[in-house]
Amino acid sequence: MTKRKRMLADLERDIREHLEMETQDNIDRGMSKGDARHAALLKFGNVTRVKEQIWEVWSVVWLEQLLQDVRFGIRTLLRSPGLTVAAMMAIALGIGINVGIFSVLNGLALRLLPVPRAQELVSVNQVLHFQGRGDRQIHNGENWFSYSEYQDYRDHNHVFTGLVAYEPYIEANLRDTDVRQVLGTAASCNYFDVLIEHPSQGRGFVDSDCASRGANAVVVVSDDLWRGKFASDPSLVGKKIVLNQTAYTVIGIARPGFTGTEPIPSAFWAPLTMQQALEPGVDRLSEDNMSWLALLGRTRPGVTMEEVRADLGVIAGRIDQSHAGPRRTTSLAIHAGTFFSSPEERSFLIPVASVVLGAFALVLLIACANVANLLLARASVRHKEIALRLSMGAGRWRLVRQLLTESLLLSLAGGTLGSVIAFWSFVRIMQLVTSHLPHDFPPLAVNVAPNLHVLAYALALSLFTGIAFGLVPALRTSRLELNSAMKGDGTQFGTAKRSGRFLLGTLVGSQVAVCMVLLLAAGLLLRGLYSAQTIDPGFEMKGVATIFLNLEKQGYDPAHATLFRQRFRERIKGLPGVIEVAEAECAPLSHDFSGSEFAVSGRPETVPIEYNHVTPDYFSLLGIPIVRGRDFTPTETHAAPRVIVTESTARRLWPGQDPLGKAVREISGREYTVIGVAKDAQVAHLGQLDANYLYFPAGTEDDSRSYVLVRYATGFTEVAKSIREAGQSIDPGVSIDATRLEDYLEVWRAPSRIVAALSGALGGLALLLCSIGVYGMVSYSVSRSVRDIGIRMALGADGAKVMRHVVWQAMRPVLIGATIGAALCAAVSGVLSSMMFGLGTHDPIAFIGMPVFLLAVALAATLIPGRRAMRVDPIVALRCE
Amino acid sequence: MSTREQNERIELLQGTLDLLILRTLQRGPMHGHAIAKAIEFRSDEVLQVEQGSLYPALHRLIKRRWISAEDGTSENNRRAKFYALTSKGKRQLTVETGKWDKLARAISQILGPGEQEGA
Repeated sequence: MTKRKRMLADLERDIREHLEMETQDNIDRGMSKGDARHAALLKFGNVTRVKEQIWEVWSVVWLEQLLQDVRFGIRTLLRSPGLTVAAMMAIALGIGINVGIFSVLNGLALRLLPVPRAQELVSVNQVLHFQGRGDRQIHNGENWFSYSEYQDYRDHNHVFTGLVAYEPYIEANLRDTDVRQVLGTAASCNYFDVLIEHPSQGRGFVDSDCASRGANAVVVVSDDLWRGKFASDPSLVGKKIVLNQTAYTVIGIARPGFTGTEPIPSAFWAPLTMQQALEPGVDRLSEDNMSWLALLGRTRPGVTMEEVRADLGVIAGRIDQSHAGPRRTTSLAIHAGTFFSSPEERSFLIPVASVVLGAFALVLLIACANVANLLLARASVRHKEIALRLSMGAGRWRLVRQLLTESLLLSLAGGTLGSVIAFWSFVRIMQLVTSHLPHDFPPLAVNVAPNLHVLAYALALSLFTGIAFGLVPALRTSRLELNSAMKGDGTQFGTAKRSGRFLLGTLVGSQVAVCMVLLLAAGLLLRGLYSAQTIDPGFEMKGVATIFLNLEKQGYDPAHATLFRQRFRERIKGLPGVIEVAEAECAPLSHDFSGSEFAVSGRPETVPIEYNHVTPDYFSLLGIPIVRGRDFTPTETHAAPRVIVTESTARRLWPGQDPLGKAVREISGREYTVIGVAKDAQVAHLGQLDANYLYFPAGTEDDSRSYVLVRYATGFTEVAKSIREAGQSIDPGVSIDATRLEDYLEVWRAPSRIVAALSGALGGLALLLCSIGVYGMVSYSVSRSVRDIGIRMALGADGAKVMRHVVWQAMRPVLIGATIGAALCAAVSGVLSSMMFGLGTHDPIAFIGMPVFLLAVALAATLIPGRRAMRVDPIVALRCE
Repeated sequence: MSTREQNERIELLQGTLDLLILRTLQRGPMHGHAIAKAIEFRSDEVLQVEQGSLYPALHRLIKRRWISAEDGTSENNRRAKFYALTSKGKRQLTVETGKWDKLARAISQILGPGEQEGA
């Protein structure tokens, strides 16, 4: 029991005892019993008041004052509902979008993996440094591990109850009634046990499933796959399904909602030892120098992150020691298990997230400035109330506290409203964004629902906001000249007024500056989007379908692949509506690149050049003219030492000379003779017209993996269907997916489109808030200077002159803010243009158009309340004060 | 209690009650009633302490940790709280006494015979 509670609990008894002692004393002095009691009571005084006073002694003053302030604050806010609603909406908007975007980032990067007791899971990654030239092979993740490294960490650590390894994103053809491509995972056999993800039907893996390589063809399928592909077949467990030409026995169906431990959902899990059957032709298990396995460990109870680092560090050191070849040092990166926990992913996500959060925070700042303006305007109405409090002895700190309580109430109410709306709407916004991604983007398993992180962020943001917009008005309001305020001449000519106007001007100016940064960024992005939409890539992409053949992954060996490819092309050529068929190692703009170092006669150093292997029809099909020399002939294959270069390449490698007959040499020493020059085209990277590029004749070596290009005359859907049928008439197990070549362009445009839409919306929001701010400032200052205007008009100024004065007063801070904003944006636009394709750093149209637009809006926001000043009747104005 | 007696009694100045309590407790722990009696007795019954007002003062001193309270038994076998000076309270008593002496000297100087003659 606290001292406070004990003292108060005994209070009754103490007083009663005291009275009885006094009564006894009185009786001893010879009073009658009744008189003695009466005298004692008289001498004691008012019992109730004494009790109250004691309660006061023990009451917690700050808490009671806080409650007082809250009650009073609520009453004050309710008394001016218009202002309260306006301020709350501005804050709700500002905080809402910030909380929303944070919940998305939270879902991507901060949320723990969606498995039981996820707080115990750590993601283990490594960064390898080689002395001299490193020769590490990388598959999927450069921070990942090889199989032997995994075994080392798994068997020798003392900190995990279990360590799992898995290879995600394995493309597999699932053959049933038709063929479908699915993404799956090869996982170590402790995967389901360590993650505590027991399948809802059947079983997970057991150790014997991984006992020997290639022996145990078992698979756990995802709940989605079971429902979608197998129509919730209740007897699926125990049946066989065919993945990449191998039959697997289904042993389990994963819990609904468990989609694996990567952001892109996994459709199935097979034992890691089945890797070679899943990816025919590649043996990763035996390759000790390849990064291909992601590691997740479940820590033993009570083990700290530091202990994990220390323990695994010892193992890493030992692996480095025994590593053959160039000296290698490993630094481990160990983080809580989230979707994005490898250093590689973090180094991408953190700058992007900070730019996005920064942009959204700017909008919140504008909203804060707006609310500060509103509060300042109201403070002028409350001068008398504040002055009365001050003159009655209220301390300044006490007043500031009361005013801050009010603004915190506002911000918390606004923040709650905004967060609720954000939680509700961002799930839908995410759906909208993902539905607008190009069709071959896989769905993301990102959970944007709020959790503790998000709530903490929302609360912190609300508190920060309340102080940010409340502090300046509170400090200003509590510093009053009592005399003039009490006398009620609200005009406040002279110094007070000038400093007030300066404050308002600064607020509006900074609002405009921030708004300008956002609008200019949006303008630049929209311009980038425009140039991306209208760019001429230098080849004809309409009416071309592409089919990506990755026969190796579909389980073909090279001989079968060559056979299939030849028959497939012949079949397509004969299809109705097909005009031309070509084949290439990389389709234009497919994000598939090949590049190497080449030696050129007459140059000492080698040149890195991207290249492609193409069939002769490639150039005519894409409408890329051969400007000099000739095209390949059908008999020229990979074996023929011939090469076609682009115009820019020829110009750069052999300036002023005839490129025909010149030679380029591979590192291996093999020499190719230039037989033709093709016109430049942006086939590899959109936006790079004049990069060096070489075309080699296509040959049998790349047969397992190539793009078939088809120019067609009829509708795409029919052609795509007949192409698929043609493929399956050769092999019913093959997966043929035809897409429009134009769709590849979409993939290049999607990032700038999403970002442009986002920043356009943000810029629009900022503009709206900003014009409300300008409007508020002007109408406030007009209403404050009605007498001023009245005098001017009484002295003969006409309406137009008064108007000009008002507008100039308002536009000065706007102009200053706009200039600062434009300068700021010019400084940071380099960052933006490096992130997005097709963005000019100082695009003149954006840098002229956006400021003009912003100033026009600001001017309109000035003119509307300014007109009121023009209509001021001098007689009314002078009389009313 | 006669009327004459009552007129001669003086109301306490604010804050002096605290000082009186601290001084009274210097002699040792006491219960509330005893403190009231002691103050009355030692001032020759000039200082009138409304006995009730003693208690808020006691609570205030406890909260400041200048005195402590403990349950005990009074001389006529009643349960009562005994109040005692803490070491912090002893230090405070010195400070407060010094302050009071200063104040008293200053006031008596102003009210001294010279001034009265001038009036």
